Amino acid sequence: MKQNALLGAGLMACAMIMPVAQAAPRVGDAAPAFTAVDSNGRSVKLSDFAGRTVVMEWTNHGCPYVQKWYSGGMQALQKEATGKGAVWLTVLSSAPGTQGHVDGASANRMMKEQGAAPTHYLLDPDGKVGRAYGAQVTPHMYVIAPDGRLAYMGGIDSIASPDVNDIPKAEPLARLAIDAVLVGKPVAKAQTRPYGCSIKYAN
Amino acid sequence: MPRAHSDPSMKHCILNRWLLTVAMLSMSAFVHAAQSDAVRSPRAEVRLVSAQDAAAPAATLGLALHFRLQPGWHIYWMNPGDAGQAPRIEVFAPEGARVGDVRWPAPERHVDGPVTTYIHQGDVLLPFELVLPSAMQRGAELAVKASWLVCKDICIPEEGAFRLALPPGNDRPGSDAPMFAATEAAAPVALDSRWQASVDARGVLILEGPGAGALQSAEFFAADWGRIDHAAPQTLTTSGDIARVTLAPGAEFDAARALEGVLRIRDADGVERALWVSTPGERTVRAPAVSLALAGTEPPVTGAMAPPAAAAGEGPWWPLLLAFAGGVLLNLMPCVFPVLAIKALSFARVGASERTVVRRQSIAYCIGVVASFVVLAAVLLALRSAGSELGWGFQFQSPVFVSAMAVLLFAVGLNLSGVFQFGSRLASAGSTLTERGGLSGSFFTGVLAVVVATPCTAPFMGGAIAAALAAPALHTLAIFTALGVGMALPYLLLAFMPGLARRMPRPGLWMERLKQALAFPMYGAAAWLVWVLSQQSGADGVLHGMVALLLVAFAAWLTGVAQGAADHAGLWRAGALVVLVAGGVAIARTPGEVIGPQVVADNAFTPQRLAELRASGTPVFVNMTAAWCVTCLMNEKVALSTDAVQAAFAARGVIYLKGDWTRADPDITRFLQAHGRDGVPLYVYFPSGGAPVVLPQILTPRVVIDHIAS
Repeated sequence: MKQNALLGAGLMACAMIMPVAQAAPRVGDAAPAFTAVDSNGRSVKLSDFAGRTVVMEWTNHGCPYVQKWYSGGMQALQKEATGKGAVWLTVLSSAPGTQGHVDGASANRMMKEQGAAPTHYLLDPDGKVGRAYGAQVTPHMYVIAPDGRLAYMGGIDSIASPDVNDIPKAEPLARLAIDAVLVGKPVAKAQTRPYGCSIKYAN
Repeated sequence: MPRAHSDPSMKHCILNRWLLTVAMLSMSAFVHAAQSDAVRSPRAEVRLVSAQDAAAPAATLGLALHFRLQPGWHIYWMNPGDAGQAPRIEVFAPEGARVGDVRWPAPERHVDGPVTTYIHQGDVLLPFELVLPSAMQRGAELAVKASWLVCKDICIPEEGAFRLALPPGNDRPGSDAPMFAATEAAAPVALDSRWQASVDARGVLILEGPGAGALQSAEFFAADWGRIDHAAPQTLTTSGDIARVTLAPGAEFDAARALEGVLRIRDADGVERALWVSTPGERTVRAPAVSLALAGTEPPVTGAMAPPAAAAGEGPWWPLLLAFAGGVLLNLMPCVFPVLAIKALSFARVGASERTVVRRQSIAYCIGVVASFVVLAAVLLALRSAGSELGWGFQFQSPVFVSAMAVLLFAVGLNLSGVFQFGSRLASAGSTLTERGGLSGSFFTGVLAVVVATPCTAPFMGGAIAAALAAPALHTLAIFTALGVGMALPYLLLAFMPGLARRMPRPGLWMERLKQALAFPMYGAAAWLVWVLSQQSGADGVLHGMVALLLVAFAAWLTGVAQGAADHAGLWRAGALVVLVAGGVAIARTPGEVIGPQVVADNAFTPQRLAELRASGTPVFVNMTAAWCVTCLMNEKVALSTDAVQAAFAARGVIYLKGDWTRADPDITRFLQAHGRDGVPLYVYFPSGGAPVVLPQILTPRVVIDHIAS
């Protein structure tokens, strides 16, 4: 408890220093703007994708829940979504020295090994993008509609487990949201419970 | 084992130690009547416990999963909060039984940056009730399968299977009942009927009742995700008999529906309590954490992970036959070969004498082999019940044992070289035992054969031993006996079948030459053990081992001089004894594990690495090996490190992971158990997206390539 209090005090101090107070966005709000460097060293801005459907996926390759989805499901979803015209941003917010943190070259190698196909793999070691979106777990999923508003935030599916056999049994919440946004329909379940490992943010 | 070692009075009495082992075995079965075996990881130790020591028909049993978590590691509450996952429990009970849900203890808040979770840490009891059917006889056989996520900086999903047998009897409180009572005493209690709870549209939780206005602190934990913002700060304000806790509504907040959860309070007297709060409105239906297994589902095999269906085949005789076959094959294993050489030599020596002598010696050898297996099985069982994570060949993980074996083989070599003779008056250390004439010599040759053979688990043997260790103690002893009989059988055949015995060579000068030549495999084996020692204890261990070898050589030479001396033989012999004792001290003081940085190879096996690679769809070949396992080293030499196999790995993108079991490693022990084995070698191929394939224990390049190609 004492530790928590200290941590809380630390966070408050950080919040005061930060120029903009950050509250997690809500569905229907404008998606927070960001600029981040991708695994190839290129600078990527959310505004680069204005007018397109953007999917954001928080990752950490050491997390069992991410591993569950990278047994094939995530790669398939990425290919399907980008094939239909969506932009897919995989975001890594693990701080240096924590689980899942890799540099751009390792990220590229890993994506090649896994057959992953995001549009960009964004490196967010200081957690700025993750905190702006209120991302809490890996895999935490967000879908941004072409009008720049947040259309979905939550879990990748409805069964919170690390067991790959649960994927076919679960309601594919993220896939349903992506498909709805791509055809301009409202998302039935626009905010759901995200599940997984906590994101290993920099303190 | 450590307990037996630390008591010096025990050292001289083998019989006492044997009795102690038996006592430990029977006691462990008695004392832990209402507890299952533990499932252990470096993070948590988990058991199924019962509040009652006996089961009666229609009785309500208090069961619980008991977690003992390492510092910093935690599991999750019914609502884990922003991340994590609550444990799940599946109960395999007699037909007609019913289960209740977990009576969750009050959670703690865990803040990790923007992620707030509700957790349990330390010693945690998750109690739930099981109502036994009224039509039930003879006690209860319960099995429980559970899965839980355990996190610190990282998260590991764990699962385990537990078994608990309760004898018939009155369901009076058992030895674990106080633990249940203490948990119940701290569990959240329903609100006093004079109190009322409600929540307003802005998310303020309002409590009205006598004393509510005097609360010193209050903290609310919502039972369901999304009802409140877990991370938001909560403030308590009081007035009159009303307490208000300001919560931040979450994504699924709805003031018209019931808000349920635990309120941790400190009352006017400063007493901390946990209350179960439920506001009016429609309640959320949640999936219970405890479920009954579907009728007809087989209960799981106990342990950290369910091993694949029985080693091979079914029926109680099948493991015994496999063990017997494994025992016969042991004779052909490279580690046994030097001892076979000794035995062949001693047979050659008695070849000219009467057949009955050979027969009697063979029986003595057979008894030596079988007795050693039985003792090993008993010790293994005792150590297992004492809580160590052990597997076959574990004794070679002890540097002191390795050092002593090196000295023993070296001394046998010196004897074969003719440095000293075994006189009838010389009765001392273990090295003399195998060469002693007569029945006791044969007996101890059998013992030595078993001790040296243990690291080389022949094909079939791994499976047989795993089956044995999963079985009741008596069954385990039977399997080990079968192994021993299998190993001793060739000698019995040799002695009892005149046709074979007649082919044995006649004595002559060649025997002396053969004897001298046989010294070199002994020196070779000793050199190999010193190399093993270098892996376990580093340069200091090698120094200790070498000093011990030097002293033994010196003692052997002194003994040889004494044997040739006309007078002062006693003096030489006393000198030999002193040097031998010094050698013993050198062995006993062999340093333990190397302290300092350990080089971790790129291809070193870790469960995380394997999981990562599998998650990425990469095919993986896992080699579980140890420096003291000759079979393993041979397989690496003739199969795994050949260009053909390496090329096949490269061509198919197979990642090669190597687990080194030279020293105890719980991760590797668990991996072995998960594949139904208790020793190395173990080779498992994980194809991309397919089920793992276990390869034979003796490899050729063809075998490996065929497996990864299919």
